[in-house]
Amino acid sequence: MQAKQQQYNFDIVKWFAYMSVVYLVLGTGIGVWIASELAWPVLNFDNPYISFGRLRPLHTNTVIFAFGGSTLMATAYYIVQRTSGVRLWSDKLAWFTFWGWNLVILGFAITLPLGITQSKEYAEMEWPLDILLAVVWLAYSFNFIMTLSIRKVSHIYVANWFFLAMMIMITYLHVVNSLAIPVSMWKSYSIFAGVQDAMIQWWWGHNAVGFFLTAGFLGIMYYFVPKQANRPVYSYRLSVIHFWGLTFGYVWLGAHHLQYTALPDWTGSLAAAISLAMIIPSWGGAINGMFTLSGAWDKLRTDYILRFLIVSLAFYAMSTFEGPVMAAKTVNALSHYTDWTIGHVHAGALGWVAMVSIGAIYHMVERLWGTTIYSVKLVNLHFWMATIGTAVYITAMWVSGIMQGLMWRAYDDYGNLAYTFVESVAQMHPYYAMRAAGGLIFFLGACVMLFNITVTIRKAIANPSEKMAVAANI
Amino acid sequence: MTKIQEYFHTDWSAMTGNDWFGMILTVIIFVLMVIVYFWALNPKNKDSLESHRTMLMDDEENAEKEDGS
Repeated sequence: MQAKQQQYNFDIVKWFAYMSVVYLVLGTGIGVWIASELAWPVLNFDNPYISFGRLRPLHTNTVIFAFGGSTLMATAYYIVQRTSGVRLWSDKLAWFTFWGWNLVILGFAITLPLGITQSKEYAEMEWPLDILLAVVWLAYSFNFIMTLSIRKVSHIYVANWFFLAMMIMITYLHVVNSLAIPVSMWKSYSIFAGVQDAMIQWWWGHNAVGFFLTAGFLGIMYYFVPKQANRPVYSYRLSVIHFWGLTFGYVWLGAHHLQYTALPDWTGSLAAAISLAMIIPSWGGAINGMFTLSGAWDKLRTDYILRFLIVSLAFYAMSTFEGPVMAAKTVNALSHYTDWTIGHVHAGALGWVAMVSIGAIYHMVERLWGTTIYSVKLVNLHFWMATIGTAVYITAMWVSGIMQGLMWRAYDDYGNLAYTFVESVAQMHPYYAMRAAGGLIFFLGACVMLFNITVTIRKAIANPSEKMAVAANI
Repeated sequence: MTKIQEYFHTDWSAMTGNDWFGMILTVIIFVLMVIVYFWALNPKNKDSLESHRTMLMDDEENAEKEDGS
């Protein structure tokens, strides 16, 4: 029994998993608030600390680093132990990542509303927090790699490949993008300037999406879809192609965010061409995940956790088709700078990243605490709230974005612009209200999840069962 | 010069060191990707690659289920 108790370190997974749900509620809550500020600007209350400009990076950093990062750490630590058959290489290093990561989160939660920012998209944190983030990330990566190095099985399962790609690339991207010269404790200037700065920012920006929000979450998908469905992955060969296609291709896409700017034209063309080519591995992966259910589609009728996972793949397929289309110059001429981009991002963020994470967390909670979920009905309710909320949000932004693009470039017979910018803003109001409503539905679903999981854990702890003892011992 | 020729026209003499580095790296990455695709899709490698499909099904969680424990 004593030897069994030492098998895995699931305490760290439990803490990261629970905190990720807390951060999902906080991150989406802030998102709903700032969406409401855009629809009803009176909600700014003339208070700089809660103005859109300061809360927007707090929203993005909370959902990306706090929710997404905690989910990635929980799942990577869970998967690497399960698939390697060994305990984490270092418990101390794992706890260092937990407290260090939460210190980073606390740091940006204080500094961003104060207006302390580098003004780089998805990299707003000032240099001391950037350094702390890099150190914690390296500790997390090192612990993961060392755990793989002591594994009891010869093959490294493909989910771990995706996590490894994420760890290596995010280290590289974060360090290069954050290179800056500090002039005080909370102020620094980027070492890049002009168009080079723009290129580096979007090389990071798109690869934060590609490696942090895609590769890592594909690692989650390749483990939790087969486990929840209790069926082997549809094709391992396809997963290999998916991995290498994504790894080789993603790094070239950043320039598609800078079409029609001072960037050399060929870089935008290259990025657009490779973006379109990326549909092949992305759809290969989505099909691989969905076809894992071949012969067992009936499970979707009753298994709500599986529904989250499979619907996330549908959104993944949709987003990875929409993204390359928007990267093409002709479409980009209409879509760039409009809300269509916001709709696209949230199809990926809510539909893909959040849904696959939610499915994985529900799956893990039952196993980590050796129990069943408190209320399956609430999981079902959460599923529909998440799906409907996402659909309402992205539909509002599609309509709003395309309308904006068309209004901005409409001109009359004399070549004058047909609409002023303010007229386009006024036209957006109903869609901004609709977006806030969609976000609110999604946020309330996250609250339902937090309640359901909290009660599940409390009940499991209050009434320990034999199953729970076995789970705790593994 | 046709429109397509014009589009793909490159002033090689204007290429900087960075341009050459980027172009060569792009071509190498592309070739490597093609090699991986051929390797993964080669029928000879099918059995060895697909043998890992069931890896997740063989862990102790499933062993517990089979034992009934």
